[in-house]
Amino acid sequence: MIRKEVSDSQLVSLYMKGDEEAFAQLVEKHKSRVFTTIYLIVKDQYTAEDLMQDSFIKAVNTIKSGRYNEEGKFLPWLLRIAHNLAIDHFRKAKRYPTIVMEDGSNVFNTLEFSEDSIESLQIKKDTHALLRKLIQELPESQKEVLIMRHYMQMSFQEIADATDVSINTALGRMRYALINLRKKMQKTNIAYDPNFYRK
Amino acid sequence: MTQTFTENDLLRYAYGETSSTENVEIEKSLLCDDLLQETYNQLVATLAELDKCAIKPSDSVVQRILDYSKSSNLPSVLK
Repeated sequence: MIRKEVSDSQLVSLYMKGDEEAFAQLVEKHKSRVFTTIYLIVKDQYTAEDLMQDSFIKAVNTIKSGRYNEEGKFLPWLLRIAHNLAIDHFRKAKRYPTIVMEDGSNVFNTLEFSEDSIESLQIKKDTHALLRKLIQELPESQKEVLIMRHYMQMSFQEIADATDVSINTALGRMRYALINLRKKMQKTNIAYDPNFYRK
Repeated sequence: MTQTFTENDLLRYAYGETSSTENVEIEKSLLCDDLLQETYNQLVATLAELDKCAIKPSDSVVQRILDYSKSSNLPSVLK
């Protein structure tokens, strides 16, 4: 069946009526943003996939049990679930540190899935993988704002409220995050041509 | 006289968080201030790079999510 562009709110309503295709559309629409948000926090693709699955499962359980009440704001709600799960995992992992390899994956995954270490194999040639690594290396407070603003699409005021700082601090952290990234990109020769983006 | 804008203002502008009045002023300043224009271009270029580094999860995890939803015994709310 061909569907026109339907809003998240409409898709959630259809899903509440039992339309699994509507849920499939929501997953397809938002999987990349949810996965990227988690991945940048936990730094491991397998853990990120597990947490993404947990996030959607929480969403399914909440919606199907009738406890969903954020009509029209599905993505921010889903991203908050994903972000919280990723931060919880990150804190637990800090308490029980795993051995992290040079490419940022943990030693367990490297041993278990050595033939699949795609990220580490591609990192030298894939500038976007390298950029993701550079984001992960940012100071926590800068990385947090960058993820919240760019991938979670929270406004600077929402970020300021969520992190208990002033809006100027949130803006400053984002600015430093971008400055740091630019410097690191130049150091690691990630080529981008600012002229290309001129209007 | 054109107003002076900070990098924080440019950030808010790039993310569409400035008011329409601010937009007019910023756009005016960008036209006549080469340094501000250069700063803005760098900012937009970096943000474009961030867009490109979004990644997709594997098909298998997506399938597991869809399977979970289908097999979930919870009653649909508005049937």
